Amino acid sequence: MSGGVLAVVGYTEPWYIQILKSVVLFAIAVQIVPVVLLAERKLLGRFQHRYGPNRVGPFGMAQPLADIVKLATKEPFRPSTSIGFLYALAPVISLLTALAAFAIIPFGDVANIFGQDVGLYGLDVGIGVLYVFAFGAIAFYGLMLGGWASGSKYSFLGSMRAAAQLISYEVAMGLSLVGVLMMAGTLSLTEIVAAQEGLWYAVPQFVGFAIFVIAAFAETNRVPFDLPEADAELVAGYNTEYGGSRFAAFFFAEYVNIIVVSGIAVTIFLGGWQLPFIDPPGWVDPFVVLGKIFAFVFLFVWIRATLPRLRYDQLMSFGWKVLLPLATLNALVTAVLVVAL
Amino acid sequence: MGEVLFFVAGIGAVAGAIGVVALRNPFYSVLALVSHLLCLAALFLLLRAEFVAAAQVVVYAGAVMVLYVFVVAYIGGQDEPLGPRAGRGLKVISVLFGVALFIELSIATLGSGLQLVDSPGAAVAASFGSPAEIGTLLLTKYLLVFELASFLLLIAVVGAVVLARRRGGLSAAEEQERYSAMDILRSSYTGTMAEAVGGPHSLPKKAGAAESAPADDPAPADDPAPAPADDPTPTTEPAPAGEPTSADDPATPEDQR
Repeated sequence: MSGGVLAVVGYTEPWYIQILKSVVLFAIAVQIVPVVLLAERKLLGRFQHRYGPNRVGPFGMAQPLADIVKLATKEPFRPSTSIGFLYALAPVISLLTALAAFAIIPFGDVANIFGQDVGLYGLDVGIGVLYVFAFGAIAFYGLMLGGWASGSKYSFLGSMRAAAQLISYEVAMGLSLVGVLMMAGTLSLTEIVAAQEGLWYAVPQFVGFAIFVIAAFAETNRVPFDLPEADAELVAGYNTEYGGSRFAAFFFAEYVNIIVVSGIAVTIFLGGWQLPFIDPPGWVDPFVVLGKIFAFVFLFVWIRATLPRLRYDQLMSFGWKVLLPLATLNALVTAVLVVAL
Repeated sequence: MGEVLFFVAGIGAVAGAIGVVALRNPFYSVLALVSHLLCLAALFLLLRAEFVAAAQVVVYAGAVMVLYVFVVAYIGGQDEPLGPRAGRGLKVISVLFGVALFIELSIATLGSGLQLVDSPGAAVAASFGSPAEIGTLLLTKYLLVFELASFLLLIAVVGAVVLARRRGGLSAAEEQERYSAMDILRSSYTGTMAEAVGGPHSLPKKAGAAESAPADDPAPADDPAPAPADDPTPTTEPAPAGEPTSADDPATPEDQR
């Protein structure tokens, strides 16, 4: 980065550190997904009184590898009704935006590595969570184009549902964070974590936290809000016509999104890299964050094994008639308290 | 680096804008507009206005254009190109306006902008373009404009609701007759898909209609209307609410479409 024209968004490191960080973050994202994948299948199996995958490798731990090899070596195909370049572009958009959003999750404070100060995050932008919402907004086009360009009814209906659902719950999700932003007085995620020293925001902002978690399930198309890919009605929703590595890209992006949402929840509500009562050395921070993220992912799996899918009208009225007013009220009450206290 | 990004984003913005008017397929037009808006956001970022850039993406690309895409994908399929080409008079006027705008922009650019391309630009404070700075300005210096703009948005929302109700929305009397003792006894959202189109209180009425409809007339069974009707976003909520009025009355099931 030659400085000068680029907006200053917390760039303090030299360019080679930034490139290195990007590569490391990409590697972490790529490594987490198979772990989450396996954890989900194993846990889901246990929840349903079965073993889950246990054939490939010890305890079935190589199962994600087998899945990836299977998907990557499949013949690429597309339906004759599809629109070529959009059909190919859609998974790319999904993957790109998911990975870009991943870059903002702070895994730790600035650490000194070999005499070089390195922030343990992809980037720390002044606009903070708005960055995530911006990429979430673009991610919608991956789903939408994927469904539309497939030229199939199921895909189209799935993408339509995805569109309506994402818009509806994005509003509640954004508003649920406003309380925290007002209490912290900043948008920067690292500063929000720093402000949670002593008390995590999940405690004073428990309403916002609950709304955020519910909206997060809807934003990531997870049970009980997995209407866009309701397999009983829509085969697989927006990715019905996708196969091979393109399907893998969608699938991958979906799991990265789960990790991103978990990471944002951990950062904003659960104290990021901070632990209660003990103050571990700096190198522990990333593992604390990862541990909290996995705890959150466990919640995702737990809910998936527990709750049935909502009906579409329930989804919509819940989002607009319950979550949105509640989030607005939460923001209002927080604003009054922040000013009054 | 900045210069390269500037030209990439600038060319992308111009190409997107041309695509919006040149493409005949409405869906591609909307996509061109999306790419145009994203390139504008990149330009904002180059101007150190990161908050404006994020707002641009979240609000325009993420909300407004999503609705455009939604509507165009639903009703303006790829098979239906945009309406007939403009008439002769309109063409002449549009060309005149285009030329006038181009000349105006050229004067502005040649007068100042091109000399500044090579310079590092004016010095700005570190907080320039930050959310805090913009918030302070909006609530102090530009408070009146800000409030007026929000009032304008409120008027637009109210107008949308009024228009939607006028077109086949529920009348007050119809809305009233929906309530019965059953609604109070039955907890909400325990009904069937019928609730989807009529809201939580319409089940007894709707269930009767759903049972009798296939018996009277097999045609409404494959009536595609209810399925799309529960898909649009709640921004058009009054419109789906209008569906039961036609479904309730078996005599004229299709007339109102």
